[in-house]
Amino acid sequence: MQKKYGVLASALTLTLMLSACSGGNSGNSGNDGNKGNEGSPSASASASSPAAGGVTDDPTGGEKVTLSFWTLFSGGDGDNMQAMIDQFNKTHPNIQVKNTKLEWGEYYTKLITAVGNGNGPDVGISHTSRLPDLIDQGVVSELDEVASATGVDWNTFNQNLLNATVVDGVHYAVPIDTHPFIMYYNKKLLKDAGLLGDDGKPVMEQSADGFVNFLAQLKEKLPSSVTPFALSNSNDDPYRLWWALYSQLGGNDVVADDLKTAALDADKGAKAAQYIQDLFTKGYIKKNDPDFYKNFQSGTAAIMMTGVWATGTWESTKGLDFGAMPIPKIYDQEATWGDSHTIILPVTKKEDETKRKAAIVFANYLADNGAIWAKAGHIPSKPSVIESAEFKALPNRSDYASVAGTVKFSKPSTKNWQLRDNVSFKFLNEVWAAKMTPADAMAKMQAAYQKLLDE
Amino acid sequence: MRISKRRADVQALLFLLPFLLVYFLFTIWPMLKGVQMTFYKWTLIKKMKYIGWDNYTRMFQDQDFWASIWHSTLFVILTTPTMIVLAIVLALIANRQSRLQKFYRSVFFLPSVLSVAVISFLGLFIFQPYTGFLNSLLHLIQLLPADREVFWLSELGLSWVALTLITLWWTVGFNFILYLSAMQDIPDDIFEAAKLDGASNSQMFWSITLPYLKPITKTITMLQIIASFKVFLQIYIITGGGPLDKTRPVIQYIFQAGFRKNDLGYAATMSYMLFAILLVLSAFQYWLNNRKEANA
Repeated sequence: MQKKYGVLASALTLTLMLSACSGGNSGNSGNDGNKGNEGSPSASASASSPAAGGVTDDPTGGEKVTLSFWTLFSGGDGDNMQAMIDQFNKTHPNIQVKNTKLEWGEYYTKLITAVGNGNGPDVGISHTSRLPDLIDQGVVSELDEVASATGVDWNTFNQNLLNATVVDGVHYAVPIDTHPFIMYYNKKLLKDAGLLGDDGKPVMEQSADGFVNFLAQLKEKLPSSVTPFALSNSNDDPYRLWWALYSQLGGNDVVADDLKTAALDADKGAKAAQYIQDLFTKGYIKKNDPDFYKNFQSGTAAIMMTGVWATGTWESTKGLDFGAMPIPKIYDQEATWGDSHTIILPVTKKEDETKRKAAIVFANYLADNGAIWAKAGHIPSKPSVIESAEFKALPNRSDYASVAGTVKFSKPSTKNWQLRDNVSFKFLNEVWAAKMTPADAMAKMQAAYQKLLDE
Repeated sequence: MRISKRRADVQALLFLLPFLLVYFLFTIWPMLKGVQMTFYKWTLIKKMKYIGWDNYTRMFQDQDFWASIWHSTLFVILTTPTMIVLAIVLALIANRQSRLQKFYRSVFFLPSVLSVAVISFLGLFIFQPYTGFLNSLLHLIQLLPADREVFWLSELGLSWVALTLITLWWTVGFNFILYLSAMQDIPDDIFEAAKLDGASNSQMFWSITLPYLKPITKTITMLQIIASFKVFLQIYIITGGGPLDKTRPVIQYIFQAGFRKNDLGYAATMSYMLFAILLVLSAFQYWLNNRKEANA
């Protein structure tokens, strides 16, 4: 038993991957398309030209620079990112971007320590929800000056995504996507239950009762071996559903605007939690499902909810006829859980203006070429990309692209991840297991949030 | 004579120097640095800020910390006695004259060569509902009705059972070897004499084998307590510390404080507390042993 904890790092990575938002292995379905693009630079240039507008193509003034870029993507995401980088390097001969792929589980710790001792990269990735913490730690630099120097126009971005990356009126990141929580359905099973409309969409009334009725019919009309609603019983995905319903009821995050006070709206939180708890106790969701992705993937679940990154995975699954849609509007206003991948310019020892200019042009380029990035399922951050023919040619994505406007981001608290991982998950998991009443859980969460914010 | 002794000392020191340097640099220095850390608020990147005894007062008031200390203690209580009994039983089986002797020895020891991550994932596959090995087995022998599932990993009591079983399975091999060698050290003539006197097998076990195993049992107990207090990864992977953080051991709590919350000063404080607890336990054990031997 002596030295057996030495494998810590590798095992941690494995566990963390379970909660990683890009954890879904999106397959390699996107590769062929990418290669087609590489072969014809003119096609990609035309794809980026409408949005590029006044962005300079040569930010370095003829000088050759090399940018180091740290990413946390694996699987299909990793392949798509590499394809975009290769294409950028080809079309921008003066700028060479070098991609360093880090393990998702170690990424932030490595980034923070590296920047801390002056060995950070020129360009990095951050989730929107993680950004406030990085700003607070002094890891990311302000972008307004370098953006205006190169002509990057903030107005070309989806404002909902962009605003979540602006803290105290300062831009810190370039969002390249959003990956919200959406719903997938198995067309064959829905058809068997008579719940698939002629338009290929589920026949469901968008209301609290409507969704439950829909599930009740699925349960009644399909064989008992079929799970009406595949969802994990703990941690991320049921939490995301709770966050969505809480926001649909008008709940506004769990911290107040001062970011120091816990401000969970207990009534709304309990109402949303009760609704989900009922889905578990009434047997619409399989109890303690060991692998709800597999359940849906093998065609034994009628619907499932998770992040858009699953789209690529389902597409590469043979024989799975599925559809995608925003999660139903159960309550007053449309809202869902979501996060974004953003490009950041970490603080470096010597702030090299030329490199920074090159970096922001690269970041903008990634956003402009969101149609490649969308192959894994993500929604591009620029409305112009969503309107592009290239994006529209991808199946399914357009069915949920509108969600970008209704993602409810968390407030810029430096403790977003801790609030979620150490408090929300812990108590909500008990609610899903019917071991705690929603009201009781809300009271305990409020106290625990406050304790965490005071630390 | 005196001079040559001093020369010998100097020579010895010269030979020891390379090791001492490395030892100081990588063991003593970090330990001292760690003590210093406990008096500072230190994240990975920001400047260290002196906060006096704040980390200590916070620790003594931190219910989560004491709860996690209790979970580690509970794990020690669950695994130590069961481990010793199981190791003795296995050693007895393998010590019998049998054609399967070699087979027993390797099979009992085999799980010990696996890494903790492998063991933990095997544990997950064994205990998970619907498709897990254990539930499927229970269904097969009809101990469990087909429409019911036992949720080993999400019920608090059952998850302790699962964690204990996995840990026993994994680590019993090492203790089994220690017991086996101790048993083989018992002189055969004692057993022969006992047989001539008409002692039964169980009498021989209780009056000869067990007393002879006493010294090794003391050692194993101590090693087992210390190792169990340091439990982390199998729990982290199998239950993640849940449900409701009620299986979270103290190492996981320290890990979360240090590397999830970037609160390294506080994490260091708790680490030294754990060190102090283990030190007191070892000292107590040492004192207990010495006293008994002095009396005897």
